[in-house]
Amino acid sequence: MNVHTASEAIVPAAGEVLLSIDNVSLSFGGVKAIENVSFDIRKGEIRAIIGPNGAGKTSMLNVINGFYHPQQGTITFKGRVRQAMRPHEAASAGIARTFQNIALFRGMSTLDNIMTGRGMKMKRNMFWQALWAGPAEREELEHRLAVEKIIDFLEIEHIRKTPVGSLPYGLQKRVELGRALAAEPDLLLLDEPMAGMNLEEKEDMSRFIIDVNEQYGTTIALIEHDMGVVMDLSDRVVVLDYGKKIADGTPEEVRNNKDVIDAYLGVPHE
Amino acid sequence: MSPAFLYFIETVLNGLMTGVMYSLVALGFVLIFKASGIFNFAQGVMALFAALTLVGLLTGQVPFAHLINAIFGTDVHNWGPGLPEIVAILGTMLIMIALAWLVQKLVLKHLVNQEPIILFMATIGLAFFLEGLGDLMWGSDVKVLDVGIPSGGSFWWEDVTREWAVEGSDYYGMYIDKLDVVAAVVAIVLVVALTLFSQYTKMGRALRAVADDHQAALSVGISLHTIWLIVWSIAGFVALVAGIMWGAKSGVQFSLSLIALKALPVLILGGFTSIPGAIVGGLIIGVGEKLAELYIGPLVGGAIENWFAYMVALAFLLFRPQGLFGERIIERV
Repeated sequence: MNVHTASEAIVPAAGEVLLSIDNVSLSFGGVKAIENVSFDIRKGEIRAIIGPNGAGKTSMLNVINGFYHPQQGTITFKGRVRQAMRPHEAASAGIARTFQNIALFRGMSTLDNIMTGRGMKMKRNMFWQALWAGPAEREELEHRLAVEKIIDFLEIEHIRKTPVGSLPYGLQKRVELGRALAAEPDLLLLDEPMAGMNLEEKEDMSRFIIDVNEQYGTTIALIEHDMGVVMDLSDRVVVLDYGKKIADGTPEEVRNNKDVIDAYLGVPHE
Repeated sequence: MSPAFLYFIETVLNGLMTGVMYSLVALGFVLIFKASGIFNFAQGVMALFAALTLVGLLTGQVPFAHLINAIFGTDVHNWGPGLPEIVAILGTMLIMIALAWLVQKLVLKHLVNQEPIILFMATIGLAFFLEGLGDLMWGSDVKVLDVGIPSGGSFWWEDVTREWAVEGSDYYGMYIDKLDVVAAVVAIVLVVALTLFSQYTKMGRALRAVADDHQAALSVGISLHTIWLIVWSIAGFVALVAGIMWGAKSGVQFSLSLIALKALPVLILGGFTSIPGAIVGGLIIGVGEKLAELYIGPLVGGAIENWFAYMVALAFLLFRPQGLFGERIIERV
């Protein structure tokens, strides 16, 4: 696994651009979900996307990982410019994500769920797979090892074999993070990783997010409503409101931005 | 053993083997339903189409012969003596895969994220289309399918069981069709193979993942279109196996597609999402209807076999709608 030690940690503010969103617009019929938004995500940083409900945050993540195809604008990921790609292409390019309403494979065990995240990395063909012999077996074991590491990292050894449908909410969120990590992504998208959690669970999750960022050097884009968490975790924050970008900068800058305060306090929209 | 008890055993055995045949059809339904939430109404017609194609290849029929003759005034029927069994079966399999690809490309791809009822309607359309296509390609006459599977009663088994009866009784031994035995073995092999495939391979895990949550499956890099192609191909393969077995048993004809209706009670009993359910459901229906015919039939004037399965299904719908093995569906409202 691609482990960065603390000394190697990349300085976020100066890092190169990993993903850049340029003039992206997305609409559903007549409803404009995203209007002409541009921002970038630099290698190694934790980038927060915030905004009131319905601001277009989740739509933005869906555009990045290929669920939605914007009508206008381009997305540049690792230097490749595109307007849209299919979700499985995004996944193989190195983008992994979690969902606002947990999207796990409920009937499968924690282990199997996380194993699906390794899918993109397993290359043996169907013939060997079907026989589950020779190279395929070795490969399966290799990936099992990687998955066990993630399980250790997220401290979920005790629920390894449990069907995830029966797990409590906080643990499900953790398994979902594990599945995303299993792909060893370059860019990790987290859609409200702490929604519905209690304080203790939030602290755990924050710790995992920081550890992932620091130990593996994974770039993270996250949507979160808890401002305390956002201000603590993120290097830079982009603020959306009614599908438009209203602010972009360090937590400090954003906190003092008048438009942001207005948007959150609900000053009438002209 | 008394002849009455031997009759009972014979009925159960035959029921089990008929049940296996039902299971074969139900299996195709379950596979597609699990992976895509589509109730594939065309499964029965796929079995018919596969059997028709197989017979066509075996006997060297020219596809669309009637159409060609009508348009060009020619008189072509056969292009040769036909292909050997193995080649014909492989050829049919290729055609079923091509069919799966076309269904995926022309129908399903355009209906992603639509309501289940819309997908269901699409498969009804597909059923009618395939039925017509099968007729047009291979003709609508009843055909004999012979791929060399042994059939007819087993004399050996008759002799063995005759010995079991009590001395002096006029018992002639049990009748068991060899074809049914072959079908049972094939079905067992098929189910074991499918189960191993879905439990222990990457592709199987991907199939289960798609069955569980489309969006999440997409996010880990599984291509829905590829998975659906594979699932429909497997369903096509199962349809081919069912088509061969049923076709060899009762001839290849339109009524073959109606066995799909018999699969419905099997599915309701076993649960739409469970492969073991399809098997056990098939066995229960098979044994149930034969026993009912034997013991309850005489009381109500017979022919109970035709509707018994539906009665059982109805009872299940009332008391256990998710079936024996299906996932309990809880919806928040």
